[in-house]
Amino acid sequence: MPIHERSLIESERVLRKERLVIDGIDVSGDWNLIILPRTVEDYDLDFAKEIMESPDGKTIQQCYQCSYCTASCPVHNYWDDRYNPRHFIYLARLGMVDELQKRVDVMWRCVSCHKCTHRCPKGVLVEDVLKVILRVMYKRGLIGDYPSKKFDQFFTESVLEYGRIEDGELLFGWMEKQGYKIKKDPILRKPIPFFSDIPRWLKDMVSKPIKEGNISFIMLNAKHMLFHPRTKEWNKFKQVLRRVMEEEGALAKGG
Amino acid sequence: MGIIGKRVAYYPGCSLEGASRAYDVSTRIVVKELGLELDYLEDYNCCGAMESKNVTFMGTMLLNARNMSLALKRGHKVIVAPCNGCSFSLQRAEYFLETDRKVFEKVNELLKEGDVDPLDEIPHTYHLLEWLYNEAGPQKVKERTVRPLKGLKVANYYGCLYTRPHFYSRTYAHAGGNGEERPRKRETADDDEHPFYMNELLEAAGAESVYFEPMHTQCCGGPHSLSDEDVSKKFVMMILQTAKRNGANIIATECPLCHASLEMYRYRLMLEGIEDVDVPAAYFTQLLGLAFGYSVDDVKLKDNLSDPIPVLRRLGIA
Repeated sequence: MPIHERSLIESERVLRKERLVIDGIDVSGDWNLIILPRTVEDYDLDFAKEIMESPDGKTIQQCYQCSYCTASCPVHNYWDDRYNPRHFIYLARLGMVDELQKRVDVMWRCVSCHKCTHRCPKGVLVEDVLKVILRVMYKRGLIGDYPSKKFDQFFTESVLEYGRIEDGELLFGWMEKQGYKIKKDPILRKPIPFFSDIPRWLKDMVSKPIKEGNISFIMLNAKHMLFHPRTKEWNKFKQVLRRVMEEEGALAKGG
Repeated sequence: MGIIGKRVAYYPGCSLEGASRAYDVSTRIVVKELGLELDYLEDYNCCGAMESKNVTFMGTMLLNARNMSLALKRGHKVIVAPCNGCSFSLQRAEYFLETDRKVFEKVNELLKEGDVDPLDEIPHTYHLLEWLYNEAGPQKVKERTVRPLKGLKVANYYGCLYTRPHFYSRTYAHAGGNGEERPRKRETADDDEHPFYMNELLEAAGAESVYFEPMHTQCCGGPHSLSDEDVSKKFVMMILQTAKRNGANIIATECPLCHASLEMYRYRLMLEGIEDVDVPAAYFTQLLGLAFGYSVDDVKLKDNLSDPIPVLRRLGIA
């Protein structure tokens, strides 16, 4: 792929000289910028192969680097222009794992809006591919526990356990993971929002139905928080699901 | 009209049975009024939303295949989901099951192991809005309206996954390198980049749509609304400010996740003293319910954290 990547040139390798004489000839002026060459030896060709093995990652090979995905991306346009889906795909295909690792602080920021996938003229499932790249990097220990990974894992394990999710558990469980002190009742170990140390917006949100006397809403959600909604015929299916996830290495490490 | 079917399987999703019950209740009201029928999918499981698919591929396929199998068992070939996330997940599974034979066979094998009937065909999933538009349509809404939403300026917020990506829901033989198959085009689908179904339904009920492009399909932070607060806050701010500055006095939503995200960050932005973010949000079915003559309590408007009741009272709608 003969695409010139400005971001692959580190500033240490760019030399600028006011006066430059080579072989006795003065080449100052327009010739004052020199980029020192770099040999890349640590690329990992298995990286792209592993991505293509997953059914949702195999379309990575159709990419022709037109950058339509990046042009559409709201994270790139409104948040951080270091987030560049086209570039991540480029690096992943070449297996330049160390370059990907330099960008781990932004790589997880994809909000799954699917503008990239939608507009790709080559039929690359860009959003899926980016998530597969992250998944493979995580499996190889190239990226740590990034925030959305923690949430995804938390969510998925709740689904695995009960078959359904519950908004209160997700919200308060997540707040607890963020370091807020959530008070729990002594018997069922369920969160009690009002005595917990949570931010003001959340406290106000929870107390709104109480202030308005919206009793049926409170009852419904309290019931769900106490007795987690679950799918009835779940046990047998859960075992299969757990096994599949184990085979994929998708269960939390150590958990 | 009448391509999808009047009686379909209803996959509400976890959210609609908990914090977003207003959407569920108002959906049932609107569907009944428009002469359609939803068959509740008993004992369904979570679709995995936008989270599970990042963790496990096959697991997410299984979660959705189980729901599809339940629908087939009840004799349905069409599933309707009112949530963008749910309809997306089911459509995504549909795409992979349809285009990848290996995935299909593996999923069936695993379903059998888990005591679930294997799939002999793959049911199609539609978003509630698409179904309502195609099966009932603006004309029917107009006929049923007894209390027009006069003077209500609506910003119609569609969110991301209602129209995107077209591979999963409309032309799914195209991606994935399966070039020999002819792309299937879904005739009932809304416009990709300029969706208008919700605009037309609410306009038929007497409301006025404000100009809301391109924010009508801009992301609200979605699956990152809890894990990446900075980005979500900025996105919601852009959406709310565009709505307010274009003259909207309410935002109509069609996804419980978008709705929750908008309401949550609206309040947080207001606490921070950001300007022009105080537009309340309501589900489009709630607004249709009001137009059909139902009361505030019937459509559970009190459940909305952003409190749209004062705006509606002022206009004499609620």
